[in-house]
Amino acid sequence: MDSAKVLDAKGLACPMPIVKTKKAMEDINSGEILEVHATDKGAKSDLTAWAKSGGHEIVQNTEEDNVLKFWIKKA
Amino acid sequence: MANTKVAIIAANGGLFDAYKVFNIASAAAASDAEVGIFFTFEGLNLIHKEGHKSLPLPEGKEHFQEGFKQANVPSIEELVSLAQEMNVKLIACQMTMDVMNLEKDAFVEGIEVGGAATFIEFAKDANMTLTF
Repeated sequence: MDSAKVLDAKGLACPMPIVKTKKAMEDINSGEILEVHATDKGAKSDLTAWAKSGGHEIVQNTEEDNVLKFWIKKA
Repeated sequence: MANTKVAIIAANGGLFDAYKVFNIASAAAASDAEVGIFFTFEGLNLIHKEGHKSLPLPEGKEHFQEGFKQANVPSIEELVSLAQEMNVKLIACQMTMDVMNLEKDAFVEGIEVGGAATFIEFAKDANMTLTF
């Protein structure tokens, strides 16, 4: 998938993944995709909730070797 | 969560209390909510210039220090500046400051000082009011 930006949030604990995601989101345009990599197990539900609250869309997410990856399309 | 307002009362001054307050506040602010925290009584420790850098763990729970490190949890200092970057309003309780003989310069930069009515005015149309 074509990401406009990749955020490495691996190793960060709550609430840092969403705080960093919010900041990274400010650097891309509406309709573009931010790719987020995280290891915080809470990130799956947190990023989903965060995206929902801002009207963004998680177009894909994967989990591989304990790394959660999300592709979030900016509203 | 734009157009959502979160009003928080921080009335306790330990490290656990600080994480509860600032994690919720940062998460809300990162979700575009307007956030205000009223620090009263021991809660003032959480924004005290020196105090917030070395908040105590509850008695008998000192071993959690290691867990905080292992989980790579951000420091309270870091969370306070993040909260401020995201425009979280920090209000110190004037009455408690008077009781404890503290001036505004004893606290981190950028706080407001106000009384109970200041918080009530902020919280009157809040969607969520939380007390820690």
